[in-house]
Amino acid sequence: MAYSDKVVDHYNNPRNVGTLDKSSSEVGTGLVGAPECGDVMRLQIRVNPETQVIEEAKFKTFGCGSAIASSSLATEWIKGRTVDDAMAIKNTDIVKELSLPPVKIHCSVLAEDAIRAAIGDWKKKNGVAEAAPAATATAQ
Amino acid sequence: MLKVLDSAVPIACWSCAVAHNESTLFCPHCSKIQPPPGADYYSVFSLEPRLTLDLGMLEHQFHKLSRKLHPDRFARATPEEKDWSLADTALLNDAYRTLRDPIRRTEYLLKLHGAEIGEEHSGKGRTDPSRVPADLLEEVFDLNMQLEEMRAAKKMGEEDPDLKQSLTEAKKKFDGLLDDVDNDLRTQWTAWDDGDASARSAAQKTMLALLDRRRYLDNLVRDVNETLGAN
Repeated sequence: MAYSDKVVDHYNNPRNVGTLDKSSSEVGTGLVGAPECGDVMRLQIRVNPETQVIEEAKFKTFGCGSAIASSSLATEWIKGRTVDDAMAIKNTDIVKELSLPPVKIHCSVLAEDAIRAAIGDWKKKNGVAEAAPAATATAQ
Repeated sequence: MLKVLDSAVPIACWSCAVAHNESTLFCPHCSKIQPPPGADYYSVFSLEPRLTLDLGMLEHQFHKLSRKLHPDRFARATPEEKDWSLADTALLNDAYRTLRDPIRRTEYLLKLHGAEIGEEHSGKGRTDPSRVPADLLEEVFDLNMQLEEMRAAKKMGEEDPDLKQSLTEAKKKFDGLLDDVDNDLRTQWTAWDDGDASARSAAQKTMLALLDRRRYLDNLVRDVNETLGAN
C-alpha cells in the first residue's frame, strides 16, 4: 500500500508542528490516542476571545504517516475558522482530501477527535456551554 | 488462518473412508496423514479452546506431532501425502507459536469468538471511547517527547545523562505496568474459561481494554529499548 502524494507531502513537510502555552486561557489542548496502533496526537488551538476565531493551531503527533498527515491537515483547516465552524470538520473530509485507505481511516478519526478535544478544553476553560443547542438559527 | 470453531463436521478419511469428527492431522482409525484441517489451532492439538492452557501438554503434543510429520517419514509416500506433510507442518508451527504465547493466544481465541482486534478492524466505525486508555495518554506523550529529544541529542553525538536516567526509570515503570496488565489478563482468563455467557462477555470486554493498554505499553517499551540500546 502506497501513501498518497498529499500524505507524503504532509509527512515530509508537516504544517504547524509545535506547542502553545497550555496554561493560557486562550489555548485549548486536545490529547487523544488510538488504541489500535498506539498513536498519540496532541492538537492545540489559540482562540481570539472576541471573535472566537482560531488564530493559531499547533500539533505534535507520534504515529504513522497518515496520523501525522491527518493532524497536519487538521491544523491547516481549523486556522482562521470560528470554533463552531471548526467543529463541523468531519473525519470523512480528511479521508477524502488525503485519499486514506480503509485501514487508515482511524487516523482521520483521531484528528477529528483531537479537534473536538481541543475545542472542548477551550470551552471548559472559558465557561462556554458544550454544544449549545439550536445555536442562533439565523434565517438566510 | 482463522476458522469457526466447529470440529463436529464429520470428515471421511481419504484413505480408509472412515468418517471422523476430529480436526486431526492424522486419521484416528488408520493413522494416515490428513490434509490440513480447516478448524482452529486448538483442535490441531486436541485441546479444549480455553485461555488457561497446560503449556507442558501443548509442548508435548507439538513435539509428538512434529515427529510424526517429519519429511523422512514421507520419503516413500504419495505426492499428495508429501504435500500434506509440509502443509500440516506449517499449520502446526503457526498453531504452536500462537497458542504458546499468552497474548497471542488470548487475541486468537477472542477473535475466534468474534472480537475485533487490531488495526485491520478499526476502519469500520468510530473508536469506542471506553477503549482508549486515557490515564496513559499524558505519560505516553511525555515519554515520546523525551525519546525524540534523546534521539536528536544522539544524532549530534551528545548524550544527556539526566535524560537517559529519566528514560531508564520510565522504562522500569512501563515494564511494571506491563506486568500488571498481564496479571489482570490472567485473572480474566479464568472468568472467561469457566464463566456463564454474561460473565464471559464481561471478561471479553475487560480483556479487549487490557489488550489495547498492553499494545500502547509494548510499543513504548520497544521504542525506549531501541533508543537506549542504540549506543
